[in-house]
Amino acid sequence: MKLFFSLVCTLFFASACVMPSADNGNYDVIYSIDSVMQEEADAGKEKKVTIAVVPKVASIPYFDAVEDGALEAAEDLGVNVLFKGPAFADAKQQIMIIKELIEQDVDAIAISANDPQELAPVLLEAKEKGINVITWDSDTVPESREFFINMVDPETLGRHLMDTLAWNTDEDGEFAILTGALSAANLNEWLYWIKVHQKEYYPNMTLVEVAANDDDPQRAYELAQKLLQTYPDLKGIIGNSSVGPPAAAQAVKELGKEGEVAVVGLSTPNPMNEYLKEGAAEIITLWSPKKLGYLTVALANNALNGIEPFDWQEINKVGKIRMDDDTVIMGDPMDFTKENVDQYDF
Amino acid sequence: MISKLTKFKNYRLRTKLIVTYVLLTVIPMSLLGYIAYSQYANSIEEQVGEYIPKLLKQANENIANQIRELEDLPDLLYNSDEVVEILREDAHQSRSSLLQDEFTINSYLSRMFINGGSQDILGVFVISKNRVFQSTKIPYTNFGLIDYSQSYGQDIQLKNDDIFVLPHQTSLRFEGDPPFVLIMKQLSDLENRTDLGTVLIAVNVTFFEDVINDMSEEGKADLWMMNKEGRVIYHTNSEKIRTVDREFSNYPKINGSFRTTQEDENRLISLNYMDETGWTLAHSVLVKNLTEQTDLVRDATIFIFLVFVTISTIISILLAWNVSSPLNRLTTLMKRVEKGNFDVDLAIGTTDEVGMLADNFNSMVTEIKDLIRENYQIELKQKEAELYALQSQINPHFMYNTLETIAMSVEDDEKETVIEMVTLLGRMLRFSIGNKETVVPIADELLHVKDYLTIQKIRFEEKFDFTIREEINPERYYTPKFVLQPIVENAVKHGLAYGRVTTIEIEVTLIRNSGGTEEISFKVKDNGAGINEDTLAGIQKMLASDPMSKRDAHFGLSNVHARIAMNFGESFGLNISSGINKGTEVEIRIPILTNGTEGGHHEL
Repeated sequence: MKLFFSLVCTLFFASACVMPSADNGNYDVIYSIDSVMQEEADAGKEKKVTIAVVPKVASIPYFDAVEDGALEAAEDLGVNVLFKGPAFADAKQQIMIIKELIEQDVDAIAISANDPQELAPVLLEAKEKGINVITWDSDTVPESREFFINMVDPETLGRHLMDTLAWNTDEDGEFAILTGALSAANLNEWLYWIKVHQKEYYPNMTLVEVAANDDDPQRAYELAQKLLQTYPDLKGIIGNSSVGPPAAAQAVKELGKEGEVAVVGLSTPNPMNEYLKEGAAEIITLWSPKKLGYLTVALANNALNGIEPFDWQEINKVGKIRMDDDTVIMGDPMDFTKENVDQYDF
Repeated sequence: MISKLTKFKNYRLRTKLIVTYVLLTVIPMSLLGYIAYSQYANSIEEQVGEYIPKLLKQANENIANQIRELEDLPDLLYNSDEVVEILREDAHQSRSSLLQDEFTINSYLSRMFINGGSQDILGVFVISKNRVFQSTKIPYTNFGLIDYSQSYGQDIQLKNDDIFVLPHQTSLRFEGDPPFVLIMKQLSDLENRTDLGTVLIAVNVTFFEDVINDMSEEGKADLWMMNKEGRVIYHTNSEKIRTVDREFSNYPKINGSFRTTQEDENRLISLNYMDETGWTLAHSVLVKNLTEQTDLVRDATIFIFLVFVTISTIISILLAWNVSSPLNRLTTLMKRVEKGNFDVDLAIGTTDEVGMLADNFNSMVTEIKDLIRENYQIELKQKEAELYALQSQINPHFMYNTLETIAMSVEDDEKETVIEMVTLLGRMLRFSIGNKETVVPIADELLHVKDYLTIQKIRFEEKFDFTIREEINPERYYTPKFVLQPIVENAVKHGLAYGRVTTIEIEVTLIRNSGGTEEISFKVKDNGAGINEDTLAGIQKMLASDPMSKRDAHFGLSNVHARIAMNFGESFGLNISSGINKGTEVEIRIPILTNGTEGGHHEL
């Protein structure tokens, strides 16, 4: 009996060595890939980042709509957005704004540059301070920013603008272009493609003048009037920046040239609503500036979280984006006509 | 403990052997078996515990892919400008245009989702500005009547992602009660940045089955998907769908495996968390089922263990028996030998240590037996010799002759002679009886013979003479008692011949034998009739035979020879040479005996 007992003791001792020690409550963890579960994953992201969005100019409908989108994104993503633009579309004023923002120590600056060269140094300075710099709407030199958010492919847009004019002038006659600042990179690129497209497909059409209005509505209006007076045979005006078409349409309307001079170009639907319905303007092309504002803030926030944009990336509430080198392309341009302009509110 | 040890020490050898054997086999074998089994079981558990989470992860990724596809489904609505236009419209229209819109959208939904989309879509609902558009694959009941009646319309503000509405959160039921989840996604007007409405897509979660069924081998394991609260979205046991896993909050928050320790039957539970949905895929299997294979090993181990233990116990008992039983017999025999019974023979029949011991014991007992017999015989011979000497002196014939001689001397008034004879006779008797020593100085033995011969000489007067010549110091050397007297008596008895003087010569010399050692030689020579050849040969044959045997003829000679041969070895003893009418010479050879230790046989 004693022998048996000692045998049992021995076996028990041996088994105690073999068995894994039983503790940790009700469960023995056997294997764990990683100990991260929802609680841990949810932790972090406490700090609220500040993203500064700088438009070319403050208080025009286009950039106001961008601001709406940016603020919507700010609310959705839980970030601070500072929307601050110069009174005139002027690089020097933008530089001052950037310097202020650097002093405020924002986390990211997204700028629509009035001049790619002039703005580069101050943006580089911001980058050195550890601020994420991206551009949207209008690019700077590539060295001074991380990536550029373009609304549409410039070639597509330039060729499309030329097309919309051609449709309304029977591919014939003289036309003029009202552009913004001559230094604005995006506008110049579109201009380039308008000219290319005209040369390739519309030999009967003649570009008589490119007038720069520096995104000043009053100046644009004066330029449009001047163009209509200078060129009595003018068949069409392309507004290359958003202040152009309303000014041109207003001028056409005042001169009673509806249907005689076609007005097309880039503008937001709300200012053009009446002109389109009255026939003072034919087709307005644009993208959603609200969407652009939203996308800009979303991508800036992503960049701060280490997520770089990539081709076919799905951005919530925006959709899929394309990527061309270091340029983000938001989507295709939209046309607003008197039939559908009521659907849009910006 | 020590007392137990000493107690064990005192156990029978057989018990000790058996216990030792059994311990030496049972303990290592049971330990080995147990360790092997538990290690095997553990390693299976660990392997499964490592393998399943990886499978789960894979399954989760598959499910996540499917869900990603499903999540993209609402975006199909953006593809139709017509639909987006209708959704942008304000709800307050005429009834006919409202119905027209409804028709347009419903048919679009049917086209895109029910007929063209995924197999798993049960139905699509679009809620926009207090309008509900829908298209379903199978009839349904209770959509939105209770849970979401308040929030239908534009009031739902989904902040970020699409939301999964789980079956328990809605009263919506489809015919046949298939398990489903609702993917709820906010439709926003991307351009105007306003809400268009909400899309709800009911997705049959049986697509889990495709993924999950691959893993739940023959229904032994449970697999289920649950959300962050532990609410079961899908379960291999369909009754558990919509219930809550109560243990969920207690589970270790890991992507991995763990074992329950509190239940009657332990389970191995593996979890994998899916980031995109916040769902956890869980797999649970009874450890018992995992280790079914191991149980076979365990049973086999136990069976083999029992068989081996039985065999080894039997072998150990046999071995112990084999070792101990000859020893036991030896012990019994030894006890018998101890009591004086030397007639034992231990036949073990083996050549191992025990056999050798038995052989040695056997030969030892034989030796002892022989030694005892030998000593006994020598003693007996000695006593015989003494008795013989005594007898020969109180021999009536000798006594008569001696006494007659004394009487005649008295008649002749030869007083001197009488005194001498009586003195001689007395001395002889004293030598015979008085001295207990078996070994005496040669001088004493010679004196005794001389006394005897002197008596005979007085009796036979001129007809008899004798000489004693000694070349050694008779006081220093010793001899066994009564070796000379029987020879001399023989010589007197057979040597006396009428008509001439019988002379007996006794010589004591120190001779050197062939081996180079010195010996003492007694020679008794007579000039009597001698012995004829046949008789001499008979006598010599008798002397050469076993000195121990008892005989009656030639008793004196054989007694002397036997005593010397037994004491000192066969090379010593009597040597007779004789011829008819040439007399007889008897030589007695003994080793040199001194009073010291030399020879070592003084106390015979």
